[in-house]
Order: sequence, then C-alpha cells, then structure tokens
Amino acid sequence: MPGLLAITVAVLAGVVAVIASAIVAVRVRRGFRRRRRDRIGAAPRRALLAFVADNGERGADELIAVPEPAWRAALPSALGLLGKLRGDAHRALVMVFLRRGMASRALADLTARGSVRRASAAQLLGDLELRPAVPGLCGLLTDHNHEVRVVAVRALGRIGDPAAAWRLIASLDRPDPVPSLLATHTLVQMGPDAEVTLSAALDHPEARVRAVCVDALGLLGATASAGRIARVLHEDRNPDVRVAAAAALGRLSTRTALDPLIAELAPDRPAGLRAAAARALGDLGSPAAVPHLVTVLRDGEFWVAHEAAHSLRRLGPAGLTALRETLEVAGVDTAGHCHEALALAAILEAA
Amino acid sequence: MTTVLVADDDADIRDLVAFKLEQAGLEVLAVGDGQAAVETARTRNPTLAVLDVSMPGLSGIDVCRMLRADPATAGMLIIMLTARVQEQDVEGGFSAGADDYVTKPFSPRELVSRIQALLTRART
Repeated sequence: MPGLLAITVAVLAGVVAVIASAIVAVRVRRGFRRRRRDRIGAAPRRALLAFVADNGERGADELIAVPEPAWRAALPSALGLLGKLRGDAHRALVMVFLRRGMASRALADLTARGSVRRASAAQLLGDLELRPAVPGLCGLLTDHNHEVRVVAVRALGRIGDPAAAWRLIASLDRPDPVPSLLATHTLVQMGPDAEVTLSAALDHPEARVRAVCVDALGLLGATASAGRIARVLHEDRNPDVRVAAAAALGRLSTRTALDPLIAELAPDRPAGLRAAAARALGDLGSPAAVPHLVTVLRDGEFWVAHEAAHSLRRLGPAGLTALRETLEVAGVDTAGHCHEALALAAILEAA
Repeated sequence: MTTVLVADDDADIRDLVAFKLEQAGLEVLAVGDGQAAVETARTRNPTLAVLDVSMPGLSGIDVCRMLRADPATAGMLIIMLTARVQEQDVEGGFSAGADDYVTKPFSPRELVSRIQALLTRART
C-alpha cells in the first residue's frame, strides 16, 4: 500500500509539473508574440497617431505603403481609433482603410463561415460608415448567431441609413431578437427620414415591435406622427405599448400631445397608464396641464399621485403654486406627495 | 507653459489627445487611470484636465468630484471625454463639476478647440 501511495503521489506531481510547464510555456510564448507585435507595430502606430492628429493632411501614402505584417500589428490601434473618431480625422482614416482594400475584404467576410469573422467584418463596415455595406449588414439581421446580429444592428446605427429601418423592424419579430433599447437607439440614429417607416410600423402585429417604434418616434421628436402616437395611446391592445406611447408624446413637446395625455388621466384607465400620462405631462412642460394634474394628486394609487406631484414641480411656478395651494386643503396622503415635491424643488433651487 | 492632464485608460486615445495638444503648444501629463489622475493633479496642478469617464478604479466622474472638493484643485478646468451619450450621463458629468462634456466618437480638432476656448475664457 505505501508503494501504491508513493506511485500515485509521484504521478500527480508529474502531472502538476507538466501542466505548470505548459502554462509557463504558453505565457512566455504569448509575451514574446505581444512584444514582437508591439515592436513591429510601434512605427506604424506612431505614424497613424500623427496622421489622425493632422486630420489626414499628411502621411496617407506612408500608411498605405506599410507592409502587411506591420499594418496587422498596428491594426488594433487603427480599429480602436476608427470607432472613436468623427469628422476629418475619421474620414481620413476611412480612406486609408479603403485604399488598403479592407472594406472589400470585410464585405466578403460578411458571409464567412466563422461567426467571429462575420461580426468583425460587420463592426469594421459600421465603423467605416460605409453605405454600400447596408444590404450585406441587413442580411446579418437574421444571422443564426445572436452576437453577430447585435454587431450588425450597431453597425447599421453607425451608418445611419434610414433605408435599413424596415429590415431592422422586421428582424425584431423573431425569437431571440436584439435588445429593445439597442433597436430603439439604432432607429433613432437613422434620423428623421426613418419616421415614415416607424409610423407605419405602429400597426405591426407584435407588441414589442410597436413599443420599440413608438419609443424611437418619441426620441426622434417626430411631431408629424403625434396623431398616430395619440391613437396608439388610446387604442392599442397592449398596456406596455400604451405606456410607451404616453412617454413618447411627452417627449414631443408639441401642444397636440396635451389633450390625448390628459384624457389618459381618467380614473377608468389602468393605474400604470395614468402614472405614465402624469409623468409625460411633466415632460411636455405645458402649464395648461396644471389643473388636471392637481386632480390626480388625490388618486388612490401611490405612483399616480407621486408622478402628478413631481410633474407639477417640473412645470415651474404655476405647478409649485398649485402644490402649495393643494397642501392647505389636502388629506394626509396627498399632502405627503406635495411636501415631497416641494422639498425636492427647494433642494434643487438651493443647489 | 500651460499644462494639461490627460487621463484615459485607452492608450491610443490618450496618446492621440496628448499628441494633438503638444502640437498646439501645451505641456501634457498623460495617465492611464483615475488614481494616477488625482495624484498627478495634486502634485503638478495642471490648468486643465481631460478625463475619460470610464476608467478602472476611480471613474472620471469620481476624479472630477475629488478635484472639485479639494481647495488646491477646485479651480481646475475639467473636460469629460466619454462614449456615454445619454442625457443623464451628460447631466451627471456637469453636476460633478465638469466645465465641458465631449462625447465619443469625437473630433480631435474640435476637442482642441474646446480646450483652447476654455483656457482663453479662464484667462480673461
């Protein structure tokens, strides 16, 4: 038995020694490769920084002539800068990428077998803000890999072509869609020209799609769609979409949003919707909402009265006066909301 | 010579901003994290600091608050440089005491113009 134990210990020690040696060897090799890459990439990286700092006025030909191994070593810096710059510096860097043939390689890689290659290609084409890449990127919106779809959506947002809006909206109606916030942000990046498509999508059968589109319309400040959004607020069969419509109307800062929002303060509406309408009236900023919000201060639902009080605070002098007047005649619950809103107003004023 | 502190954990952005500011005739102190930014600001007392918001350890917002709370650095001009573009992020930067807020993607030329404008305003 002692002999067997000794053999086992020796075998285990051997295994540990082999694993430790392998780890050290891998780390040494990685360190060596990193130092080699840093050494090879140092000169092109310096040239790249100088080129970008000069907004591309000097040094383009030198960067294009950099041999491929040195360019590959400096590529992480070039890609990092490409995604973080705009203006002349960005345009100059894009020209270098185009002249080195990287855009055409990335376009070809959009259909590569490996998901990392597809995602990397989509990321690069987005950072290059290359409009001809939009059809290829739209093709990735139905990619079987979730991460690839997310990168493609971000790339489409960076390019900002409204022609892609409908494809993006259609891709939301599938299992495992991209996060709603990302979709909304991307649709907003496509700008006011996406408004017609977004407005049409408010009739989409999928509630999640309607909510994303109504959010995007609000963030775009799409005042021409105020009537359509008001209809969603009144008629949509999904309460979450109606809440999103209330928030969107609040962001529009147009007087036409006032009456639809006031109508949703009615006691027969769901509490979540009343609270959203009260909050949106504060966002809208019209003193005409003051008497309606004062009525809602007595709402039996805590959040509805709370939102009404804070909207009155945000409406400025007219709202603050209404809060003080209500305080004198209100019951305990209503007075609590008024006190809280007035105290916050005092703190903000002092700050 | 006017001294500017540049704090960004992204070496490429840090070197680019430093390069651009040196071209504009400013002396640059470049650091890669929030703690080093606070220490450098206290020991070297630069006129202006460009702070990245997302840094390991102390964020740019934390650094900004600490500099504003210290009488020795409270008057320093501060520009936040960040990829966070939401309204509440910008609001957070200003409420921490920043003088300006530049969002990524950014234009190096515009950043230098904003820095020079702040320095000119501070001199007058």
